[in-house]
Amino acid sequence: MSTAIPWSVKPHPVTGIPNAKLGIWLFLASEVMLFGALFSSYILIRTGSEQWPMGRTILNIPLATLNTVILITSSVTMVMAWASLKMNQFGKFKLFQTLTILLALGFMVVKAFEYGGKLHHYEVTLVEGSEAADKAGALKITGHIDHATAGNGGAITSWIRSRDDLHDGKISFVADPPAGSHEHPAAIELAAEDMERLTFFGPHRDTFFAVYFTLTGLHGIHVLGGIVVLLYFLLPGSRMWRTDPERFTGRIECTGLYWHFVDLVWIFLFPTLYLL
Amino acid sequence: MTDTHPNGSPGAREAHGGGHGETSFLWKYVFSQDHKVIGIQYGITGLCFLFFGFTLMMLMRWQLAYPNQPLPWPWLAELLGNIRAPGGVLEAGFYNQLGAMHGTIMVFLGVVPIAVGAFGNYVVPLQIGAPDMAFPKLNMASYWVYFCGGVIMLASFFVPGGAASSGWTSYPPLSNIATQGQTWWLVGMVFLITSSLLGSVNFIVTIVQMRAPGLSMFRLPFFVWAQLVTAFLLLLAFPPLEAAGVLQLMDRVFGTSFFLPSGLVVNAIPYAQTTGYSGGGSALLWQHLFWFLAHPEVYVLILPAMGIVAEIVANNTRKPLWGYRLLVYAAIFLGFMSFIVWAHHMFMTGMGTVMSTFFQTTTMIISIPSVIILTCMILSLWGGSIRFSIPMLFALAFLPMFAIGGLTGLPLGLTLSDLHLHDTYYVIGHFHYVVAPGTIMALFAGIYYWYPKVTGRKMSGLLGHLHFWPTLILMNSIFMPMFFMGMAGLNRRMYDQTVYVHGRGVQPLSLMVSWSAWMLAVAQIPFIINFFKSWKAGEKVNDNPWEATTLEWAAPSPPPHGNFTTLPEVHRGPYEYSVPGQSGDFCPQHARPDSASEGTPSAPPVPAAH
Amino acid sequence: MSLKAFHIFFILVSTAFALGFGGWALREYARDGGLGMLATGAGSCLSSVALAVYGVWFLRKLKHVSYL
Repeated sequence: MSTAIPWSVKPHPVTGIPNAKLGIWLFLASEVMLFGALFSSYILIRTGSEQWPMGRTILNIPLATLNTVILITSSVTMVMAWASLKMNQFGKFKLFQTLTILLALGFMVVKAFEYGGKLHHYEVTLVEGSEAADKAGALKITGHIDHATAGNGGAITSWIRSRDDLHDGKISFVADPPAGSHEHPAAIELAAEDMERLTFFGPHRDTFFAVYFTLTGLHGIHVLGGIVVLLYFLLPGSRMWRTDPERFTGRIECTGLYWHFVDLVWIFLFPTLYLL
Repeated sequence: MTDTHPNGSPGAREAHGGGHGETSFLWKYVFSQDHKVIGIQYGITGLCFLFFGFTLMMLMRWQLAYPNQPLPWPWLAELLGNIRAPGGVLEAGFYNQLGAMHGTIMVFLGVVPIAVGAFGNYVVPLQIGAPDMAFPKLNMASYWVYFCGGVIMLASFFVPGGAASSGWTSYPPLSNIATQGQTWWLVGMVFLITSSLLGSVNFIVTIVQMRAPGLSMFRLPFFVWAQLVTAFLLLLAFPPLEAAGVLQLMDRVFGTSFFLPSGLVVNAIPYAQTTGYSGGGSALLWQHLFWFLAHPEVYVLILPAMGIVAEIVANNTRKPLWGYRLLVYAAIFLGFMSFIVWAHHMFMTGMGTVMSTFFQTTTMIISIPSVIILTCMILSLWGGSIRFSIPMLFALAFLPMFAIGGLTGLPLGLTLSDLHLHDTYYVIGHFHYVVAPGTIMALFAGIYYWYPKVTGRKMSGLLGHLHFWPTLILMNSIFMPMFFMGMAGLNRRMYDQTVYVHGRGVQPLSLMVSWSAWMLAVAQIPFIINFFKSWKAGEKVNDNPWEATTLEWAAPSPPPHGNFTTLPEVHRGPYEYSVPGQSGDFCPQHARPDSASEGTPSAPPVPAAH
Repeated sequence: MSLKAFHIFFILVSTAFALGFGGWALREYARDGGLGMLATGAGSCLSSVALAVYGVWFLRKLKHVSYL
């Protein structure tokens, strides 16, 4: 007897689906548990915290909205790629598959801009009673660093984690414009001894950013994984279309199921993090 | 899926791609996609890890028996080095590493890979009459990812600060501020979780899609049912631990505070102010996520063992399992309930009486299906003409050992008695009774039972007896005293218990436990000899030496690539032993109804023994 | 469940999301003003209609593909 695996292409007469489709759904079930656990952690941390920022006040909603549109569109092109194979139009499949990949890459580019904005955005906690605090009129100011000088004279990159990295240097700090206005106040000079804490809006800043970076980061990794799979089936994997079109169509369908799941996660992530 | 493919001839190629035709050593034995080779790989790797984990524990037992005395052999102290054992005395931090890694290795690298990876992989496709697993490449990937996870865990002993030392549960905030080894532990766990995810998808698809013609779900051997429920537990319970692992990695690598509460003070220094952490996390969150995995994990450890024992009990009592459907329903219910009992590990965390009451209730409920399964197996013995073969001895030992383990769990599931017993040696005794004399005995039973299928030869009976009796006695003399030590109030994870008066009081018991553990190691020598010697020199047997009914015995021993010489067709349930009115005392699942009364193709009819 | 079925589900969720997001943006506009929010809200509500229309078109196009 040969070692052919039954029902790897044809649907099983009882369950009605081939092996791979059942497999990918089981995998997605475990993914639901993974993201479910993370969403639950988010709820637990948020309900247990004394205060929680509204996402819309610190996150970039226009960029995220753009990303939502991109992902929903990419789901449509994905399903079109599969439908083209069903209708035996391989050329159209290549077109839609390419579009899906471009949209996915577009999502990652937008994401990179969004992350970059956060990583270059700083918060300074000033020393109480210091001259700088009196001038600023507040203990905490947010903004970006115009330029910085360390004790040794070298410029400091955006990866400053705390004021300790400054040694004895100074930074020229441009505070965010006040609400409703678009004009930045003039840059102020801050010395290391004026500052209690200097930190960028990275995952370590507070639990909100920890949740934000972890959830969107994990989702981003899923998008990257999807891009790799989509590329594989667009280029070397598509050779199977000539030898075994039915199996190839099944593979694209499984890819599509995964891709839809990744997009669905985003549709839940967006309101949870940005709007609520 | 309705296929409207104009040009592809439907079903033109059902074969799967992959290196099945390759014959070089590397592809046949190392990167094999054959479920049988992968099963053996899992089995041997798992046994090695089991032995290694046992060795770690034997080291700990020296410190517990002879606190702060140098190790008896200078070469051992030299091997460990001056950091781990200064002057030959185990260092306290290293003791913690041993404890954490003993638990991790035994559970995630030893018992589960043997119970699921080895037995599941080898036996399930054979028992359902399938040529292989549904996704052979995934199966191979699952083993190699597991192997990498194991290597990472082992390597963590050699990083600065040593391996993880916060217990196998890795509770924060302790684990968050632990040395680098903890990060390695987390990365290793991500590998192991990925491996079990790949494996569980494969098992479920194989069992659902690839059963032989006529093999309906209620004709499946109980072992296959146990593996199916186990696979669902692995599939759905592991991701939350992966989530927890990701969060702790974020904490340790990117400086987040998921598990670091505000106001944490370490060594009398406020932690947030000195390190830049924001605080605001919850240490309890880890416990919820961890136990959401780790309680179903208990059933991952025990269900395959129950499956193995069920097969062996039915085969050696020569009568059908009592209450087969009841067993199946109980296993499914057990699997379902195991998702909603996790917080009974957390009664002492102050999560509130309402939560505790809920989880206490579900815990009492989940004991019902366990008792049903155990009762069914004990009732199966009633009126049987029992063959006391070596596998049967281990299976019989499993029943009372698991009963002790299970029943001693009840006081831990009740909040009131748990207040006293929590985190004592009583807990250690309880879960070791389930896993060591319970599951590991069943795994031994499985090795002796399926050895002839894997090799075509039987293991030696004399060596089997030499292995079984000392093992049974010593397992009990290791774990029984722990109940008394625990009830005396002795805490677990203690480096030197003699600093306390109540610890000094039970120190003689500790001595007894240690010596029993070391003798248990000696008692495994007959097994090791037997295991390797019988591979080439064991007694040659036919394809069905135990006169069993399930499908794996219809294949040649050892089964060739593709398993069956002819496609088996199933005509009856799994345990048709001593059916009245038939000449033989067993009737294989694949025997045709008309030919069944004339015996079986592979074994001569044996008169019913009663 | 085939990709067709999952896609229908996905479009349903997207439609609901677009409607909800539009409502949220319009509420923000009602509270704080700002033409950006008005445009976002209106655009989002319109896209929810577009998504629903697309869903019906998709169902027609793939009439012969199984849901399983």
